[in-house]
Amino acid sequence: MSALLSVKGLRTVFETRAGIVRAVDGVDIEVERGECLGVVGESGSGKSVTFSSVMGLVKSPGRIDGGELLFDGRDLRSLSPQELRNLRGKDIAMTMQDALTALNPALTVGEQIAEVLEIHDASLPASRRERRRAIRERSVEILNLVGIPAAETRLGQYPHEFSGGMRQRIMIAIALSCSPKLLIADEPTTALDVTIQAQVLELITELRAKLNMSVVLITHDLGVVAEHCDRVIVMYAGQVVEEGPTREVIEKPQHPYTKGLLASIPRMSLRGQPIRPIEGQVPDLINMPAECRFYSRCGVRKAVCKSLISMRRVGVGHRARCVRLEEASS
Amino acid sequence: MSLGKLIERLLQLVPVLLGVSVIAFLMMALTPGDPVQIIIGDQQITAEQEAALRHDLGLDRSIPERFAIFLGNAVTGDFGESFYHRRPVSEVIAERLPATIELSLVALLIALATSIPLGVLAAIRKNSIFDRIATVGSLLGVSLPGFWFGILLLMLFAVNLHILPVAGRIGYSSEIEPITHFLLIDTLLRGRPDAFLDALSHILLPALTLGLPMTAILMRVTRTSMLEVLRQDYVTFAEAKGLSRRRVLFRHALKNALIPTVSVAAIETGSLLGGNMIVETVFGWPGLGRLVVESIFLRNYPLVQAAVLFYAVTYVLLNFFADILYTVLNPRVKL
Amino acid sequence: MTDATGTPPRAESIFRQNLRNFAFNRLAVASTVVVLIFIVMAIFAPLIAPHDPNETDLFRRLQPPAWQAGGEWSYLLGCDGLGRDILSRIIFGTRISIFIGAAVILVATTIGILAGLASGYLRGWVDVVISRLVDILLGFPYLIFAIGLMAMMGPGLVNIILALAYKEWVIPCRVVRGETLVTRELEYVEAARALGASKSHIMLKEILPNIMSPVIVVASIRMAHVIILEASLSFLGLGVQPPTASWGSMVADGRAFILDAWWVSTFPGLAILLLVLAINVASQGLRDAFDPRFHE
Repeated sequence: MSALLSVKGLRTVFETRAGIVRAVDGVDIEVERGECLGVVGESGSGKSVTFSSVMGLVKSPGRIDGGELLFDGRDLRSLSPQELRNLRGKDIAMTMQDALTALNPALTVGEQIAEVLEIHDASLPASRRERRRAIRERSVEILNLVGIPAAETRLGQYPHEFSGGMRQRIMIAIALSCSPKLLIADEPTTALDVTIQAQVLELITELRAKLNMSVVLITHDLGVVAEHCDRVIVMYAGQVVEEGPTREVIEKPQHPYTKGLLASIPRMSLRGQPIRPIEGQVPDLINMPAECRFYSRCGVRKAVCKSLISMRRVGVGHRARCVRLEEASS
Repeated sequence: MSLGKLIERLLQLVPVLLGVSVIAFLMMALTPGDPVQIIIGDQQITAEQEAALRHDLGLDRSIPERFAIFLGNAVTGDFGESFYHRRPVSEVIAERLPATIELSLVALLIALATSIPLGVLAAIRKNSIFDRIATVGSLLGVSLPGFWFGILLLMLFAVNLHILPVAGRIGYSSEIEPITHFLLIDTLLRGRPDAFLDALSHILLPALTLGLPMTAILMRVTRTSMLEVLRQDYVTFAEAKGLSRRRVLFRHALKNALIPTVSVAAIETGSLLGGNMIVETVFGWPGLGRLVVESIFLRNYPLVQAAVLFYAVTYVLLNFFADILYTVLNPRVKL
Repeated sequence: MTDATGTPPRAESIFRQNLRNFAFNRLAVASTVVVLIFIVMAIFAPLIAPHDPNETDLFRRLQPPAWQAGGEWSYLLGCDGLGRDILSRIIFGTRISIFIGAAVILVATTIGILAGLASGYLRGWVDVVISRLVDILLGFPYLIFAIGLMAMMGPGLVNIILALAYKEWVIPCRVVRGETLVTRELEYVEAARALGASKSHIMLKEILPNIMSPVIVVASIRMAHVIILEASLSFLGLGVQPPTASWGSMVADGRAFILDAWWVSTFPGLAILLLVLAINVASQGLRDAFDPRFHE
C-alpha cells in the first residue's frame, strides 16, 4: 500500500536581505494511511515549514526549491493553484497553533464553518434556502462532534466569546468538516493549559479512528508524541535526524539530539538531579557548513562528523542521521 | 453597545463642548476693536445713542455675564446680527452651509473611493512599481500645500485647457430652484442633466484639492493595515481551508483591514473643515469657509464667533462619532 | 527602551545606534541635506539673494522667467506684479518659513514636555486639568483656531508663532504624557524615589532623557505641518504682512495673474513643496531609525 503522503528531498528556502535561509533542506517523510505521525523539533527546525510547503502555503519571500510531494498518488507541485485549492480543506486539512489568531475575529463561528462547506461539499442541495439549512445542520453536527455544547446558538457567536480550549475545538471542527484524509495539526496543544491539552488530544485521536484519517502532530513536546503517535520524526535545523516507531525511538534513541531531548525532560524519577539541557544553539541556517548540523552541540562527535551525514538504518523502520550509531551508549 | 453607555459617553462631551464655547467666545470678546464703532461707522450719533446701542448689544456688561448670555442664545440658535449683512447670523450661516457640506462630502467620497483601492492594491503588490509610485504619491499628497495645488489645477484645467470652470458653484444658465440645497442632488431632482454636469464640473477641482491630503493619508493607512492583516494567522488559515484568493481577500482580509481606514477617515473629516476655508477662497466657492475668512477682514465678529463655535462643535461631534464607529466595527473592542 | 531588568541603557549608545540606522537610509540623509540647504539659504539670505526682495521696479512688472521670451538670467524666476525678483523673495521667504516653523515647534515642544511630564507623573488634579485642556484644544480644527486667534491678536510675526504654538503644544504633550505614564512604573524611577529624589529631579533627569526619541520624531513630523499652516495663514492674508516676503502670501499675490503670469504663484509654492517634502522624508527616516523594533 503506498503511503498517503510522500515527501522526498523537499527543499524550501526563504530569501532574506541577510542571505538565503534553508529552512527545509532535503527532507523525506512518509505518512501512511490511518497512522498518526509525530513531528518533533524546536523552533527553527523546519517542522512547520515542511507541512506548509506540502499545503502550498509558503509565501514570498519563501519558495519551494526542489523535491517531490506526492499525496494520494498525485504530484502536488504539478497541480494548478485551483486544483491545489480544491485539495486544501477537503483532502488535506490544517490546524494552527493559536486558535485565537487563526479564527477571523470579525466573522462568526458559523460563517467560518459554513464557508468551508460551501466550497467543498458537493453533496449540498442546490437551492439557496435548502443549502443554507443543510449547511447549518451540518455545522451543528460538526460542533457536536467536537464537543461544543449548545451548538445551535453558538454558531452566531464570535471567536473571542469562546474559551481557549473551545476555540481549538472549533478550529479542529472546521478542519474536519469535510472529512479530510490527512489532518496536519500544528502545535495543537502549545497555547493551551495542561488539562485542556489532554482533552484536545483525546478528541483528535477519537476522531482519527472515527473518520479513518491520518494525522500529523507537529509539536515540540515529546510527551504528546509518546502518548498519541504511532511513529515519530525528529527534525533539527531543516533536516530529519531520526525517525521510527514511537516506542522504539523513545526507549532507544539513536541520534544525540534525540537523546538530548529526552534527557532534558524533567521527570519525577530523576527528582533532585539537575536538569540537563542541550548546550549550544541552533546553527545559522544561512551559511550551513557541509557537516553534521548537530556538530557544534554534540557530545560524541568525531572528525568524521565534519562531512555530510546521511540517514542510516538502525532497526525496522528506525533510522537516524548519525555515524556513531553502534557505539553510542543509550 | 447599550444606550446607557452611549449617553454616558455623550455626557463626557459636555465639559469639552463647554470649554470650546468659552474659547470661541473669548476669541471674539477679547478682539481689539470696538464693535460699536464698527457699526456706527461714519454716522454721527449722540453719546446717548451710542450708549443705548452699546446697551442693546449687551456690551456694557461684564465678560462672564456676556458669556452666559452668549451661551444661552447660542443654544437657541441666536447668534446676534451680522454687522455686514444686517441679518441674523444664523440665517446667513444657514444659507452658506449647504455649499460647504456638499463640497466636504464630495471630497470625502473621492478620497475614500480612491484611497481604498489604491491602498489595497499597493499592499497586495508590495514593493512593486505600483507600490512605490503609490508611496511617493501619498508622500506628495501630504506635502502639497492645498492652496497651491488648487491654483495649479486651476491654471492647468481652467486657464490652459479650458475644460473646467474657474470659479463659483454653477454657471448662470444652469441655475435652478433649490430643494435640498445640494446642487448635485437638486439638479437631478429637477430633471436637468445639463445642470448636473455643470455643477459637477464646478465641484470637481475644489473637491479634489480638498480631498488630496485625506486621500494620501487614507491610502497609507489602508496599505499598512492591509499588510498587517495579510500577515495574520487567520488569513493563512483561510487559505488552508482552500478558499479562493478573492474570497480570502474580500471576506477575510478587507473587513478587518478597513477598520483603521474608516476610523481615520472619520477623524480626518474634521480636518476637512479647516481645509474648507482655503479651498473655498481659491475657487471662489460660496460656502461657510470663505464667508468666515471674509468676515474676519470685515471685522464681522458675531459671524466669526458663531462660525468658530459651529466648526468646533462639529469637530468634537465628529471625533465622538469616530470613536463610536470604531467600537461598532471592531467586535472585539468592548466599551 | 530599557532591557528586561529595568536598568536604563546608556542613553548615548542607543541614540548613536539610532543615528547609525538613520545614516543608512540614503533617501533620508539626502532629504536632511536638502533641509540643511534651506536653512543655509535662510541664514545667509542677504548674501545669496541676487536682488533686494522689496525693491520694486515697475518696468519689470510680471517679467517672465529667464528661459522664456522676455526674461533675463539675472532675474532667474521672473518678477511679480510689482517688479520684485521672485527668486530673491523666495530666498528671503525661507527665513520666515524656517524661523516660524522652528520657533513654533520649539515653544510647543517645550510647553508640551513640561505639561506632559507634569500630567503623566504628578497625576491627580494636575492631570485632570491638563487633560481637559488638551481635549478642549483638540476640539478645534487647527486652521479655525489659528484663524480665530489671529483675528483676535492681529497679524505679526510673534502673533503667528503664538497662535500656532497655542494649539501645537497638545501634540507633544500627549506623547510625553503617554510615555511618562509607562516610564514612571519602571524600576529605575522607583529606585530614584527610594533614594529621595525630588519630583522635579525625577521628571527632568530620570524620565525625560529616556523618552526623547519619540518626542524628537514627532517634532520633526509636525514641523512640516506647521510650515504648511503658516503658509496657509499667509495665503489668506492673516500671516506676516507685506512687504515681508512669505511664500504663502507670494502665492496669494500670484492669484491675480494666473491667466498670464503663471510663475508668480508657481515658484513660491514649489519652494514650500520642496521643503515640506524634504522634512517629511527625513522625519519618516527618523521614525524608522528610532523604531525600537530595530533593536532586537
